[in-house]
Amino acid sequence: MVDSDRSQSRRTYLKTLGAAGTVGMSGLAGCTLLGGSGGGGETVTIAATIPESGQFSSLGAAVKRGYELGVAMMDEALDQDVELIMQDDESDPEVVRQSLTQITSNNEVDMIWGSFSSLLVTAGSAFAEGQGIPFIGAFFAYEAPHRNEGYEWTYSPFPKSRDVARSTAGLLDLIPESERPSNVGLWEPNSGWGEEQADYWEQTLTDAGYDVVLRETFSLGNQDFATLISQSESANVEALLSTPTPPGGITAVNQMQENNWSPDVLKFVRAADPTAWWSALGESGAYACMCPGWVPGLTGGGNEAMWSAYEEEYGLDDGELIRTPVGGAYNVAQTALQAIEGSSSTDPGALQETLRSAEFETVIGSFGFENNGLPSEGDLTAPTGQWWEGNQHTVYPDADGRGAIDFQYPIPPWSER
Amino acid sequence: MVATDLLVQSLLNGLLLGGIYAVAALGLSLVFGIMDIVNLAHGHMLMVGAYVAIVLFTALGLTPIVGMVVAFAVLFVLGMALQRFVLEPVVGEGMEQPIIVLFGLALMLQSIGRIVVGSDAQATDIGIPGEAITIGAATLSFPRVVTFVLSIVLILGTWAFLKYTTTGLAIRATAQNSSAAQYMGIDTDNIYVLTLGIGTGLAGAAGALLSMLFPITPFVGWSYLLKAFAVVVLGGVGSVAGTLVGGLILGVSENVGVLYLGGGFRDIISFSIFVLVLLVRPHGLFGSSGGGE
Repeated sequence: MVDSDRSQSRRTYLKTLGAAGTVGMSGLAGCTLLGGSGGGGETVTIAATIPESGQFSSLGAAVKRGYELGVAMMDEALDQDVELIMQDDESDPEVVRQSLTQITSNNEVDMIWGSFSSLLVTAGSAFAEGQGIPFIGAFFAYEAPHRNEGYEWTYSPFPKSRDVARSTAGLLDLIPESERPSNVGLWEPNSGWGEEQADYWEQTLTDAGYDVVLRETFSLGNQDFATLISQSESANVEALLSTPTPPGGITAVNQMQENNWSPDVLKFVRAADPTAWWSALGESGAYACMCPGWVPGLTGGGNEAMWSAYEEEYGLDDGELIRTPVGGAYNVAQTALQAIEGSSSTDPGALQETLRSAEFETVIGSFGFENNGLPSEGDLTAPTGQWWEGNQHTVYPDADGRGAIDFQYPIPPWSER
Repeated sequence: MVATDLLVQSLLNGLLLGGIYAVAALGLSLVFGIMDIVNLAHGHMLMVGAYVAIVLFTALGLTPIVGMVVAFAVLFVLGMALQRFVLEPVVGEGMEQPIIVLFGLALMLQSIGRIVVGSDAQATDIGIPGEAITIGAATLSFPRVVTFVLSIVLILGTWAFLKYTTTGLAIRATAQNSSAAQYMGIDTDNIYVLTLGIGTGLAGAAGALLSMLFPITPFVGWSYLLKAFAVVVLGGVGSVAGTLVGGLILGVSENVGVLYLGGGFRDIISFSIFVLVLLVRPHGLFGSSGGGE
């Protein structure tokens, strides 16, 4: 039985202020409510924002489905109702803050779930840190905020930059040594995470014996990759790694095709996560790899239950696999459930203690958390997925679940595709 | 040290991109040069033109080249209506009034765009099969070559219109001295209406061209406005040739500059040129106090 007692906090004060100004349904305009009837000590209330519009909108629907399945799973497992209040954050960190302010002003929120991408998740976590509300966020590989922002309430069950680099080295090691690429190119977006990820890639792959022959920066809003493509071709880049946004990544691949160049291995973390990748690029998007936290092919940790629940709730066409953000989002709900069960409470302090000390097992693997909310190094599976025939498949590590395939290598020239 | 073939590749990429920059700036330059109006909504009209092409492409399967013609027509009418019903009443109230009106229009178009089409990036496809073109060690993107050629056609067409038609002559006369033009029997009010129509029509056509190369969102207006400003300042206000040369210089500077400085410097390069030219040669390379050529 969950005890919902809570001490007077800034959030209670905010709630009182907010209630005075925004009583009634007007305060919930634009919200999606899932689960219980709302309010009261018998309900676990979770606030979340998801990108249903804007640059990350192509992922919003899948994240929403993962959260919905997760809430249903929590509802079954817990003795009380679970209510998830979601709003569209428009892929805008300011809207994340506004939405969470509105939701927490009008509801006794026990926990906040993150949005998508470091940009949006850190906006949510900053709000949660200020309010002292436990925050669980996936789709957020950036490590620096965990180390630099003094996180106490933010926990990220998701592959971080170091895990992405480890997964990339593992992926390349799948290739027989005689055929393995040696020249690595890094396109580094001029963002904190872009630099951090490029640093990890450079260090990890150099240590593993690869040559980083190109490391060039570009602006995140950049739409012209012609120079980077020319530089990559000139440097004989064989494995190209980057962390562009989905629109940027799609534009880059289009321009690679226009310029008749492609690497042997392409890994666009975050850009190749959404279904928009395939709908925009079709077969031109095949072979691209990503590290989205969860990929069809993984087993254990509730994967089978998630597949069943997904098919029952949404159905799957012949040959269709679950989209990767669903698993990442479902894993957030699993983490939340295990934290609540471990605490026997939704008291923020108790949840915090459990999150810091317990071991978790979700669809993305088994892991614990460091005090700053980072998943413990090396614990996570950090699967690499690859686009193939319209779906994302686990290609690393070796897996035998539904959707796992052998790594498709090398990417053939455009003329042969 | 940058390899020669890479430098040549970047130069060619820059030239191709510069053609698009030039056509994106041409309408702004004409309106500024002939009417003395800084069209702050120019970039957003370009965005509207891009969406006209995108809608025709996605809903009707029409090639963006057809979309370019339709976008020109739609924005031409919009521009004429804007001048006749919105700007004409505030002209003479001071230089600030049209600027404020156009700034408001830009914000309005961006908001309408966000409501109507959402925030997601969209694009068109050139729709013409073609392989990348190899020139020595350099490879040219076929869509960029096509859009560059179309840009040149638009620029030359505008130049020929201004140079060889009676209406073009009237526009140039109005730009040089509107009072004298009125004495000669030219209806300058109608000339201004026509000029803004052409300027916004060119923005619409440029938007359709850009939709073939780059993703479009309702928020691209400001960035293209700033690029267009840089081109206009570089080439000289009201000069068609200057706009073309300015666009090419900007495209080449950006592409070659990022080779040496890194991609993060792309916009810094653009606006450094913008500021430098303003300081050293405020009238631009081809600028004069007169209007079109």
